[in-house]
Amino acid sequence: MIKAICAYVRFVDGLNRFVGKVTMYLIFVMMGILFYSSVSKTFFTPALWTLEMAQFTMTAYYLLGGAYSMQMGSHVRMDLLYGRWTPRRQAWMDAFTVFFLLFYLGVLLYGGFSSTEYALRYGERSFSSWAPPMAPIKIIMTFAVFLMLLQAVSTLFKNIAQAQGKTLS
Amino acid sequence: MSYEFIALTMFASMMVMLLTGQRVFGAIGFVAVVSALLLWGDGGSEIAFSAAMKVMKWYPLLTLPLFIFMGYMLSESGIADDLYRMFHVWMGPLKGGLAIGTMGLMIAVSAMNGLSVAGMAIGASIALPELLRRGYDKIMVTGVIQAGSSLGILVPPSVVLVLYGMIARQPIGQLWIAGALPGLLMATLFIIYIVVRCRFQPHLGPPLPEEERRMDWGDKLLLLRAGIVPLFIFFSMTGLFLMGITSLVESSAVGATASLVTALVKGRLSAKVLQETVRKTLGVSCMFMWTILAALCFGAVFDGLGAVKAIENFFVGNLGLGPWSILILMQISIWLVPSRH
Repeated sequence: MIKAICAYVRFVDGLNRFVGKVTMYLIFVMMGILFYSSVSKTFFTPALWTLEMAQFTMTAYYLLGGAYSMQMGSHVRMDLLYGRWTPRRQAWMDAFTVFFLLFYLGVLLYGGFSSTEYALRYGERSFSSWAPPMAPIKIIMTFAVFLMLLQAVSTLFKNIAQAQGKTLS
Repeated sequence: MSYEFIALTMFASMMVMLLTGQRVFGAIGFVAVVSALLLWGDGGSEIAFSAAMKVMKWYPLLTLPLFIFMGYMLSESGIADDLYRMFHVWMGPLKGGLAIGTMGLMIAVSAMNGLSVAGMAIGASIALPELLRRGYDKIMVTGVIQAGSSLGILVPPSVVLVLYGMIARQPIGQLWIAGALPGLLMATLFIIYIVVRCRFQPHLGPPLPEEERRMDWGDKLLLLRAGIVPLFIFFSMTGLFLMGITSLVESSAVGATASLVTALVKGRLSAKVLQETVRKTLGVSCMFMWTILAALCFGAVFDGLGAVKAIENFFVGNLGLGPWSILILMQISIWLVPSRH
């Protein structure tokens, strides 16, 4: 059991680190798209696709990067009380409250599935002159939320271990 | 249950959740989805994901990661180092001069970048060690950097005013212009404070020793060149935006590119620096955007309840407060909610 948990944590952390390290370079894609947009607007005919493509990129960027940023401990907490506790007490509290996070991510994932299913079944397209299909970005979003959920479970395991004064790989 | 009561319960449970120290986006998102499910059952189950679609369509939000990237790039590119050296030499002879110079650096950074994080990072990594090494008072120095970096969200460009403009549906260009004067006014007050304080307590900020100040006028004037690049970046972003050539989001991309090119030209851009910058940008952007995602979900539930009207009724109707008292109350409430990044 412990072995399986260790393997899970290693796998999920590794996967999300990899996804995050690729995703973080999407910032250059955003810059490129917007830069092209301003150049094409000034000198040529404005491109139709830049606005939405930049939005899709941004969405993929922050959703896919979410799990890696959770590993890095980037997400803010209110530390009025939390900051004063010992690391062990923090881990205890986290092991309990991370279920709130899991529940939220679960509902988010459910919404993602139902929205993606709708987009696939009816061939949903964006209401714009470019009118791209919505399914690809929705699939990416749902997948990203799923990765975040895996990461939250991994965090739960690590918190439990830490609360007992141990560390998982 | 009355709507006021539901709204109050939501707020109270959110406060309790936040106090547990769980990640802010998790705490807010949890209260939001639980309320939605309790209120509307299955109909409320998609509210969290539809908030993600709303975030996607919120076009000006794109400025956020770009400004964050730019802030880190500025501190890596050496623009800030040059600027600091310029202020250092020119302000050095004064009592508390380096602190005044740091404030100048902060104003310049604020005019290039729309976030406080940038000023904080630059101030803490470049100015702080120099000032401490020269015997400046530690408490005063940290105060100068923290106060100075808060100018970032006031002096245009400003990401916070972008967010505000989106929520309150106000034109962002005008908000930016409106932020300029209060920002500069605050900077002036900070500088006056430093001057007065150091006049009466010179040990807080000793002037530079003679040998460090000796420098001929030619070199001194050459140092002023450090100010050209920031002016160029400021113009390429805020200038082009206010002139209507680039859109708001495009100008943030132009600024990010300009800072990247500067770092490249100055030969500061190693693979390691680039990777570190991009990684930090991802961390801070994700923190902001997951929180915005959860907050929008919370807001959607609130809107669905008509709670905005209820709150308005409470403050304007029941308590009979005017605009000024509400404004003052809002200011006080900020003091009551401490949080740390």
